[in-house]
Amino acid sequence: MPAIEIQRQMLPMFPSPNQGARFYNPELPETEPFVPGHRTCAGCGPSIQYRMTSKASGDNTILVGPTGCMYVANSSYLCTPYNVPWAHTQIGSSGSFTAGVAAAYEAMIRKGKWKGAFPNIICEAGDGSASDIGLASISGALYRNHDCLIICYDNEQYANTGIQASSRTPYGGMTTFSPPGPTIPEAKKLFPKDLARMMAAGHPHCYVATASVGYPIDLMNKVRKGLNHKGASYLMVYTPCQKGFVYETPRSIDLGRLVVECGLYPIWEWNPEKREFDYSFRPQNMRPVSEYLKLQGRFGHLHAEHIATLQKFANEQWRMMKVELPAALIRAADAKNLVDMASAEAAAAIAETV
Amino acid sequence: MSTKGTHIPDWLAVPFAGITPAPSQERGQDLFPTGNWRAIRPVYRDKMPPCNNACGTNEKIQGYLDLVKRGKYLDAYALIKEDMPFPSVTGRVCYHPCEQACNRGQYDEAISIRAVERFLGDLGQALPRDVVTAGRPNGKKVAVVGSGPAGHSAAYQLARLGYTVTVLEKSPKAGGLNRGGIPDWVLPQDVLDREIERLVELGITIKTNTEVGKDVSWDELKKNYDACVLAVGLTEPNSVRADGEDKHGVVYGLPFLRDIGMGTSKVKLGPRVAVIGGGNTAIDCAREALRQGAEEVTMITVEGNTSEMPCVPEDLHDMVAEGVELMHGRAMTAALGNGKVEALQLCRARFSGAINASPIAVDRESPAERFAVDNVIIAVGQHASLPWLPDEFKNERGTIRIDRFGRLGDTNFFAAGDVVQVGSGQPLMVVNAVGDGKRVAFNVDKVLRGVPLQERMVPIDVITDLARMNMTYFPKFPRVRQAMLEPASRRRTQDEVIQAYSEEQATEEANRCFSCGTCNACDNCYLVCPEPCIVRSVRSNGLYKILVDYCKGCRVCIEECPTGCLEGVPELDFDTGVVRMDTAFAITPGLHGRQAEELRRLPDKAPKDIENWR
Repeated sequence: MPAIEIQRQMLPMFPSPNQGARFYNPELPETEPFVPGHRTCAGCGPSIQYRMTSKASGDNTILVGPTGCMYVANSSYLCTPYNVPWAHTQIGSSGSFTAGVAAAYEAMIRKGKWKGAFPNIICEAGDGSASDIGLASISGALYRNHDCLIICYDNEQYANTGIQASSRTPYGGMTTFSPPGPTIPEAKKLFPKDLARMMAAGHPHCYVATASVGYPIDLMNKVRKGLNHKGASYLMVYTPCQKGFVYETPRSIDLGRLVVECGLYPIWEWNPEKREFDYSFRPQNMRPVSEYLKLQGRFGHLHAEHIATLQKFANEQWRMMKVELPAALIRAADAKNLVDMASAEAAAAIAETV
Repeated sequence: MSTKGTHIPDWLAVPFAGITPAPSQERGQDLFPTGNWRAIRPVYRDKMPPCNNACGTNEKIQGYLDLVKRGKYLDAYALIKEDMPFPSVTGRVCYHPCEQACNRGQYDEAISIRAVERFLGDLGQALPRDVVTAGRPNGKKVAVVGSGPAGHSAAYQLARLGYTVTVLEKSPKAGGLNRGGIPDWVLPQDVLDREIERLVELGITIKTNTEVGKDVSWDELKKNYDACVLAVGLTEPNSVRADGEDKHGVVYGLPFLRDIGMGTSKVKLGPRVAVIGGGNTAIDCAREALRQGAEEVTMITVEGNTSEMPCVPEDLHDMVAEGVELMHGRAMTAALGNGKVEALQLCRARFSGAINASPIAVDRESPAERFAVDNVIIAVGQHASLPWLPDEFKNERGTIRIDRFGRLGDTNFFAAGDVVQVGSGQPLMVVNAVGDGKRVAFNVDKVLRGVPLQERMVPIDVITDLARMNMTYFPKFPRVRQAMLEPASRRRTQDEVIQAYSEEQATEEANRCFSCGTCNACDNCYLVCPEPCIVRSVRSNGLYKILVDYCKGCRVCIEECPTGCLEGVPELDFDTGVVRMDTAFAITPGLHGRQAEELRRLPDKAPKDIENWR
């Protein structure tokens, strides 16, 4: 039987929105695979991410949605806002389902049962599915190098069940599973799992990158790079959660920028051909972490030494990115130069009486 | 489950578990019209950018900078020409109040708006035919007295409205203050000549050597024309009331410049020249004196320091760079010498009031100084000369008495420009005169058509400030400098000092514009909406639409709008077409509408029942 060449959709990259001093977004595709009429919260970060991702991937796309906000809030009464084929999977089987879809299309094309371009197969897993429950199946899909893109939309907690800690919840983040109190005043003692680096280190043949909704064109370009990459690719996207982070809804995009500018969410790419990290992305400014923390209620209980701990962590990330640290950031890593968050004392006191 | 691509038999096309409507790109998923979650609605509202507001003639500066960004130079030129008849002139001479108001000035450096205007003006000059055409003739005749900035502007606007316009100019060449008050090294004569040609191309008759009161009488104006605009300007120089001001070698600023401009100057300057006054005319005189052969030029001002001088700071800087000396806090009390001025008597002095138009208090206690000069140029302002004006229209300042529409009583005479703006608090600058001429021209039109008049000063909308905008989208970017001749080479020639922008430079500079408060179709709201409920069929200002059935009021678009065009309006402020909260499913009839029946009947219930309705 003659082998049939797999026809792939090679998606072009978007030019940067900054043209000299001018800010002007590039021409975006007309197609809208993710439409209004869904029940995510106002200002939902994952929803912003979903929209940008699907717009970048286009109409010939298959979306896989393991259990998470983007399944629970969006598919109420069996109605979805997806204009492309979309399927829900169990929270633990996101990787295996996606691998199955990719393998099925490869087989159908090989047998001549599917005419046309290979679809963009995207798995949209939340950080609960991607870092805890479905980690094994995603790792399997990446390891077997199925032609798909697996996205972890990272809102740093289990949000749809009512804000529980996941292994991506940052140090100091308050959730219902990690409340601050007199014994553990910082609420969460552990640092988040470095999921994207884990994926890059463990599956070096895959395209792996991190992105943030604060940089939409960068995010959409990484989606397209991941889809153009022949084989599996993995993308971790910072998506603020208004309910869990406790901030004012208009700040969604702003937080996406601040988390990068504070060094808590380094943006990089893993280049599978050269087998090296690309740290060339630079935010416009560098800021101390307190500017990011003070916008969010989930960090309202932090004492100066906890902020200093987070600043040390951020400084490590900057060093990893090979960025020279300004003196202000080194000073900010010392608790003596910091003050407690406004409600730090109150948070501990209330917890003690409960 | 999406039912897209699934065949649904007719008998199943009803709300039924498992078979629910597929979303579409046009309508969205209309089972969940989430618009009723919203308390604040985003609304696109273009606001007044500070530059447009500061401009004396309210040029649409943001608009033409935006067109230059996109490379649509001809459209940009046409947009300027709506308010400004001669952008090539103001692009050189304007004191650019727009740049002082520019929001970018508080961020890094103001946009060089004047340089972009000059680029567009020069582009317009190079066109074989102007983009502006005369209006359809309406058979009415209007006379404009004076061809300076205000007269030029009024004549231009009236011609565009279809009037037959005649400009009366007493000098041998048209141009008024543009020709007589501005030296060649700022505004070359051929640039002005070309702009006056453009007026003639519009069908305007320019009668030079025609002076009102001498060649044409007041009654003739009244009889021969349907209306008349008096834009005669301030022609007579003020004196400093010093002894010996009539001595040979004492000249006055504006006639000095005017004679050089008209080519009729007979003044020969000696090596040492003093200029009395600290305004823009004084600066032009001092710099012109260098070019007329003076070796040492000293500027003597009553103001105590440079910051108090009523002039454009850049021009002052350029003057000092050319080597003019400054002497502050002195007033000239006498010109000494035998028939010809040899020295000045200077006394310490200051203004007796807070503003520099107030009377000068000369300190008689301190000894007078003697300052040796060969010539002195006095440039301390001008006043009007209106011997032909009927007394009933004169005011206490000796200028024309007008109402707030620029009209003389209820006659068809109007006045515009410096002659009415002097003492009104308005700066006496070219662009302000142009704006006044424009507004008065529109009022002439209204009088002749019999419609209500409009005030000369129009009330303004909200002016956009930096707090309304999202500055994270604008990296700091230095201003594109205009090339200049070196002080050493320029101080003796009549060559233009400031050089024009190239096309690349103009675009680069226009790119720095924030578009304060005005949508420039950057697509950011469209890109960041989480629903997404912002749609546009064409990417253009005014064509973005928010689907209010779905918008949850998260305000991300408002926060992320770089220009501050989007603003939040409380939903209760809309009294029509509001989707009120009852339940998430009640809005689209059918489907799950039954669930909301209880709530739908709520208004008919007694208040007591409403409290315990559940």
